[in-house]
Amino acid sequence: MTPAASGDRATAGGPAILEIEGLGHHFVHDGATVPVLRELSLAVRCGELVCLIGRSGCGKSTLLKIVAGFLTPTTGRCRLDGRPIGRPGPDRGVVFQEDALFPWLTVRENIGFGLAGRQWPRRQRQQEVDRILDLVGLQGYGDYLPRALSGGMKQRVALARVLIRSPRLLLMDEPFGALDAQAREEMQELLLQLVRQRRQTILFVTHDVQEAVVIADRVLVLEKDGGRIRKELAIDLDRPRDRGDVRFQACCARLRQWLRT
Amino acid sequence: MKGAKMARDLLQPLLLPLAALALWFGLSATGLVPGYLLPSPPTVLRSGLDYIFGAPGAGPYAGRFAGDLTASLVRVLLGFAIAAGLGVPLGICSGRLAPVNRLIAHSIGGLRAVPGICWLPLALIWFGIGIGTTVFLVALAAFFPIYQNALTGARLVAPIYYQAGAMLGVSRLRGVFAILLPMAMPNIITGLRLGMGISWAYLVLGELTGVPDGLGAVIMDARMLGQTDIILVGIIVIAVIGRLCDRLLVTALELSFKSARRQR
Repeated sequence: MTPAASGDRATAGGPAILEIEGLGHHFVHDGATVPVLRELSLAVRCGELVCLIGRSGCGKSTLLKIVAGFLTPTTGRCRLDGRPIGRPGPDRGVVFQEDALFPWLTVRENIGFGLAGRQWPRRQRQQEVDRILDLVGLQGYGDYLPRALSGGMKQRVALARVLIRSPRLLLMDEPFGALDAQAREEMQELLLQLVRQRRQTILFVTHDVQEAVVIADRVLVLEKDGGRIRKELAIDLDRPRDRGDVRFQACCARLRQWLRT
Repeated sequence: MKGAKMARDLLQPLLLPLAALALWFGLSATGLVPGYLLPSPPTVLRSGLDYIFGAPGAGPYAGRFAGDLTASLVRVLLGFAIAAGLGVPLGICSGRLAPVNRLIAHSIGGLRAVPGICWLPLALIWFGIGIGTTVFLVALAAFFPIYQNALTGARLVAPIYYQAGAMLGVSRLRGVFAILLPMAMPNIITGLRLGMGISWAYLVLGELTGVPDGLGAVIMDARMLGQTDIILVGIIVIAVIGRLCDRLLVTALELSFKSARRQR
């Protein structure tokens, strides 16, 4: 039994939301051109949780920044729901690796920040913030300032302020990388719960193989320095996934081997 | 426990002034320092009370305080307002926009290298003796720390906050008020406080030139008449008012801006 060939449940899902074709990007550093991505193509389908793994420096964060609209790619096409991706828009939400909450705003104000552009009545806005606070398990912390929160709670706020805008595609850049093991597992569970409830489509960057196998429907492995998708593995294990399961470990072992070579 | 903490917070700041007062008493009582160099604390206190509460006309300095304070406050606040009104926006623009920085950074750096006192003769020619010269000197001197700190604050805002803002639907213009200014607020406050302190220094410089009223004018006037006690009164009054202005500035900013209140 090869994990790669086993079943196609996730990929058989909805139509593609995100389509990337022949994407290339390079930085100019000290007059020299440093290629980061070369001819990268991938697709993410509706309701799918796709993990992108690769060694550091392989361009996975750059790819996420391009999809988010923070960077304009040198070449290639990048489309969301069939429309070319330009500047950042309400159809995409980003959870960053590091703490990017606004330090002078309370949890509640941070979460409501992204609603400022919408002409909602105050009451409706408050109710929506309350609902999202419950959803990410932060009841009772609404009036705290970010500096009073633990790393895990900060990332819950970071997730909440994006979810409240109901983005089509959620982009996550190693969001749990800085958390301790316990907080990381809690956040992974929370994320999976959200995926179940909201059928949220997610592109998730990580360098943690086990994390990828726990959460992903499909894992894409980036080449070490080629800036291309090297391999793809559909994770066809029942949820919740058992980290001690033989098949779970087989998936991890396979991914680790692909990362090494 | 809470009472003990409050007592400590109230009493500890008083320790140094009380020690200085005790030393002053000692020096005067032993006669080590003659009265015309350092008048005794009771003498200075009497002169001070007379200066603040005395009936106008009862003595050369009696009851002049209110008028001097008003005159000086107007000059300081006017000069400071000009400095803040120019320094904060220019500093923020310089910190965020490379072309603006290239355009003005060297010129402002050059002007800053000129000691403020060098401007006095020119200011006297331009504005004459009085409020104009003083306000000019105060505004000029207070501008640099306000500008420099606003610049640093704007420059230190990490790109990730703009990305977070863009991702949450904040336009570039709204980002200035919703993200840039609040993030830079701690530095802006530092600059404004330094500027306020310098304002008082240059106020005295401006008032030494022969204006009839103001706290600085009183000090200079008293020197000519050999009234050391009034000089000391003026120094103490400026210390107290200057400190009050600093606290009022911080309190006003904290009342006006969440970002000032919550990022201490």
